[in-house]
Amino acid sequence: MTGLREALRDLADQAPTADLADLAEVAVTGHRRRRLGVTVLGAALAVTTLAAVAVLQGVRGAEGAETAESADRRQRTPEPDPLPERGAGPVSFAYLRECDFDGETRERDCSKTGWRVVTAAGRVYSVPGAMARTADHGSVPLAISRDGRKIAYYSREAGAHVVRDLGSGAVTTSPVRIPEKRIGRPGGTLTLSDDGRHLAFDPREGSKEPGLLIDVTNGKTVQLHRKYEPVAIKDGIVSLVRYVKTDLWLMPVTGGGKPVRFPGAYIGFSELAPDGRTVAAVLHKDYLRAGPRLLTLLDTKTGKVVRKVALRASGWARGAFVQVVRWQSATEVVIDVGKGPELYSADLRTGRTKKIVTRGPTSQMATLPGQPSSG
Amino acid sequence: MDHTGFRDFVLARQQALMRTAYLLTGDPHLAEDLLQTVLVKVAGKWGRLAKDGNPEAYTRRALVNQYISWRRRHRPEVPSARPPDHVPDRAAYHDDTALDRIVLGQALAKLAPRQRAVIVLRFWEDLTEAQTADLLRCSVGTVKSQTHHALARLRVVAPELAHLLNEPVLQEAAR
Repeated sequence: MTGLREALRDLADQAPTADLADLAEVAVTGHRRRRLGVTVLGAALAVTTLAAVAVLQGVRGAEGAETAESADRRQRTPEPDPLPERGAGPVSFAYLRECDFDGETRERDCSKTGWRVVTAAGRVYSVPGAMARTADHGSVPLAISRDGRKIAYYSREAGAHVVRDLGSGAVTTSPVRIPEKRIGRPGGTLTLSDDGRHLAFDPREGSKEPGLLIDVTNGKTVQLHRKYEPVAIKDGIVSLVRYVKTDLWLMPVTGGGKPVRFPGAYIGFSELAPDGRTVAAVLHKDYLRAGPRLLTLLDTKTGKVVRKVALRASGWARGAFVQVVRWQSATEVVIDVGKGPELYSADLRTGRTKKIVTRGPTSQMATLPGQPSSG
Repeated sequence: MDHTGFRDFVLARQQALMRTAYLLTGDPHLAEDLLQTVLVKVAGKWGRLAKDGNPEAYTRRALVNQYISWRRRHRPEVPSARPPDHVPDRAAYHDDTALDRIVLGQALAKLAPRQRAVIVLRFWEDLTEAQTADLLRCSVGTVKSQTHHALARLRVVAPELAHLLNEPVLQEAAR
């Protein structure tokens, strides 16, 4: 090997860790896994995929995903305090702390892994009692209500999900016990309603295994159609999407309603707009053609396209996803384009965008308020 | 479309492709952007590529072409991709390897896009002149001259890398 090649190799070692499982998912199925940020460990495909990568890649296996430098940096970072029993402010986002990786011994230490929540004031807390990983390293989701004041997670001790009010400290344990073997499987998601009363638990997104809508106050459940996946629970309505066709079913939390079909394959569905009728989504063809720059507003009553919105921004990767995180008003949405920790507001009248939020220094898997969490 | 095939390809080769993208751009964010952009294109052609072609070769060609296209359009680079004005002081580094890496990164940023691509393809990807010419869709003579000029330029902008750039095998490659 020449010295130049060795120097190039050293330089190439500075390359960021690639985690394009989401991209592959969207590209081939038009279906986005709801995960933000960049990490290899704990991806929904973790166990099977990482094994395949390690074998096939022959360059850097799963253990190579993290550098010794980043592990050292993490070790110097003090562990956060546990969530106080009450009085914690609203949460801006949550993330799953990675395992530590020893660059010399090539061994992974997952003893400190766990969910962390970051408040609007910037405080970071660990969440004792929130199961983060299964015995076979599957990641277990933690969901946040739309206002950031409640979180939901699976408690191994209770064998069920719990909803925790961060302000009052009230903890509601779901009467519906779910065996641990159904938790933390690849593609599993958890969505918490805006009032913290309902949970949509999908054991394996995209599979034929049906999800469950749980009223944690009384244990009533509604089985979700196995071909539909929950994307939001707001104002007593569960938004369920059947990808590829594409159908959207606005189902009352008590059950009922019927789906509406849109022309074309759409991905990245938003919650319902304040008008209770419109949703934003991305036409899969638009995504392949224009990247994250075209939103489509859809009428959920008629199934027709209301109009398209061309987003004006610079520095967005063409291959990035655009996901409407929430509607701020009738004319403004908050979007995530997978650009590190940044979120943007977008004016739907003009297409102008503006960076509004930096989630924080983490680039790890993150969950945002109101969004389904896939762990 | 063979969904599994594309997914497996991405998962198996993503890090190797990311390393190439990083060497081309010199910036982690641009490298991610570049690779994502290219893979979206690859996904759209996957059926044909999987059946008739060599997906990895196509992807590498697309990476290089997209990178050159971005540079032609004067796509603004983020500050971290720009070389600092000063040359690092070798005495300040205990590790010569680290210093070589930093200086090389700065020097590559001063090359023309095709020159940089040739350096990456010839000396990182270990492609032959003919393979490089095929990938860049140019003649072997053009690859030779680009290689010669690229190495010469590196020697000028980074004389401290002489121990890397004056090895006989590189002298031979630049003829």
